[in-house]
Amino acid sequence: MRKFLINTTKFLLFTSVFYIALLCVWEQAFPSWLKPNINYKVGANGHLYTRLSEIKKYSNIDILFLGSSHAYRGFDTRIFSKNGLKSFNLGSSSQTPIQTKILIDRYLDQLNPKLVIYEVYPDIFSLDGVESSLDLIANGKNDFHTIKMALEINSIRTYNTLIYGFIRELLGLNKSYIEPTHKDNDTYIPGGFVEKKLGFYSPQKLDKKEIKINPKQLKYFNEIIDKIKSKNIEVILVYAPIPKINYKRYTNTKYFDEIMRKYSTYYNFNEIVSLNDSLHFFDSHHLNLNGVEIFNNKLIELLKDSGVLKRVKKQQQSKN
Amino acid sequence: MDIYKKKLEPTKDFIAFAAFVSFFPQLVAGPIERAKHLLPQFYKKRDFDYLNAIDGLKQILWGFFKKIVIADNCATYANLIFNNSSDYSGSTLVLGALFFTFQIYGDFSGYSDIAIGTSKLFGFDLMQNFNFPYFSRDIAEFWRRWHISLSTWFRDYLYIPLGGSRGNTWMKIRNTFIIFLVSGFWHGANWTFIAWGFLNALYFLPLLLTNKNRKNLETVAQGKFLPSKREFFNMLLTFTLTVFAWVFFRAENISHAISYISGIFSPSLFAMPKFEGMPRALATIILVMVFTLIEWIGREEKYAISKIGISWPKPVRWAFYSLIIFLIGMYMPTVESPFIYFQF
Repeated sequence: MRKFLINTTKFLLFTSVFYIALLCVWEQAFPSWLKPNINYKVGANGHLYTRLSEIKKYSNIDILFLGSSHAYRGFDTRIFSKNGLKSFNLGSSSQTPIQTKILIDRYLDQLNPKLVIYEVYPDIFSLDGVESSLDLIANGKNDFHTIKMALEINSIRTYNTLIYGFIRELLGLNKSYIEPTHKDNDTYIPGGFVEKKLGFYSPQKLDKKEIKINPKQLKYFNEIIDKIKSKNIEVILVYAPIPKINYKRYTNTKYFDEIMRKYSTYYNFNEIVSLNDSLHFFDSHHLNLNGVEIFNNKLIELLKDSGVLKRVKKQQQSKN
Repeated sequence: MDIYKKKLEPTKDFIAFAAFVSFFPQLVAGPIERAKHLLPQFYKKRDFDYLNAIDGLKQILWGFFKKIVIADNCATYANLIFNNSSDYSGSTLVLGALFFTFQIYGDFSGYSDIAIGTSKLFGFDLMQNFNFPYFSRDIAEFWRRWHISLSTWFRDYLYIPLGGSRGNTWMKIRNTFIIFLVSGFWHGANWTFIAWGFLNALYFLPLLLTNKNRKNLETVAQGKFLPSKREFFNMLLTFTLTVFAWVFFRAENISHAISYISGIFSPSLFAMPKFEGMPRALATIILVMVFTLIEWIGREEKYAISKIGISWPKPVRWAFYSLIIFLIGMYMPTVESPFIYFQF
């Protein structure tokens, strides 16, 4: 039995080293269809690499935006800046509460915002969080929080990508990487916003869909709200506008609205602003620049009317 | 039944009996162990055996590979193609049937390997349940190699009591159909399983009537690397017949099976297969080919990797096992897929 245990331990050590080495070779040598369980893409959609590099320069901001691509393509920090508000957009592709929690654990104290605007899109609450975890692993630093995230998601794709990410960081392979500001029709705007100039969408019929909330995501969402509130930071939840053809496909939006209202002040902008699917969106999810302007101005108006901006500015002045 | 027929003494050891009926490795799906083989093993004192434990771990590893890499990946495409069969060309439907063929083999023989390997760790010896059935040269050989514990159970408790291959021709035909139809019905109350059993009976009958059902008893191309042309043709024919029968086993109902088969025999049979996720499916096809090659190399053993690498230097041998672990990690589907035989 002793020999068995010793040899098994030796074999496990051997396999660990072999696995990591082969993982690195496989990632480098083969096309994506031959490596389904590893997806390490620095500089993927959404400019997360640039965003997380730029965040180091920010502190004591007025507004922090969180959420999915609806956030980084929906909140234009330049519009808020024109209104005297220093903001940072920390949205990322398919960001689920599991990733949001990591991001606020890492950056909330440094950014020290007076207000958090958290974009909530129903589909995000039904995801397992794997895709977004891969984006975060490849484009941000990997630490104890990322390991915690991988254990929570418990997917082989996340584990493989994280192991590979650690090796790349160890070898300093990402240090020389500079993400282009312009990619296809996307332009990264300092502060985290991604501008898309392409401006027309031809709506196509979408199948009906029921909003299903993953309890694990809701648990993390709860923790996020609790953490932000515990630091006496105001939180506003926003369901950003999506094309009507997409919005109307959901059969139980009221159920989602009710859940969100329980947590904090909540605005469903699909019921507040009236936008045109073709003129204000560039696909079935995202606003184009015209749409962003209408949405952001309406949001600022609401923040003014509800007295939130007054409170933010008051805190701003007291800090100065 | 064995006690009734006085083939086995009733046990007075309640603990051994309870452990036998609840023996966890094979409790859910098989191999279906008989008291005569397994029960006496509980009476004996078992000492830890290093070589047996290593062998068990290797068999578990191969079982996981079969289940996770082969069966679960094949399941993705088999489900996609079978569930939308009316949308696909004849060639794609053939591919779908092949995916299911490897899914069911990888799934169930993988489970059996895990169960047998786990038992070895505890010093128990379970019977071999699959003996490389897709390398069979006729259907009789296939049924001696597929789900052996169930086939022999039916043989001993149904076929032989009915008279077996004794008696006149009509008795032989009757007994053959009874055993295959009951075997189909055992899988579920669906006409598709009955049709699957019926087809296998049809395949089996000519061999029985011409007395050729016990022709291929030894392993194909024993001691050689390649089979003869005749052996290869016979294997290919048996495999094709098996794949055809699996269409009935997998189909939702009889009309689905018939529409699936008529879809195969259409002009689009000669078109290039095309379905969603083709590139990823190509990776699965490559894995199935590598898997088949390893199974072929190890076909004379109890499981394919039993002796592979045994004479290699330790680091090379360990690298081979580590490569299998790596392939599991790289090709494990992210969506959970339960064992098929848990439902039967």
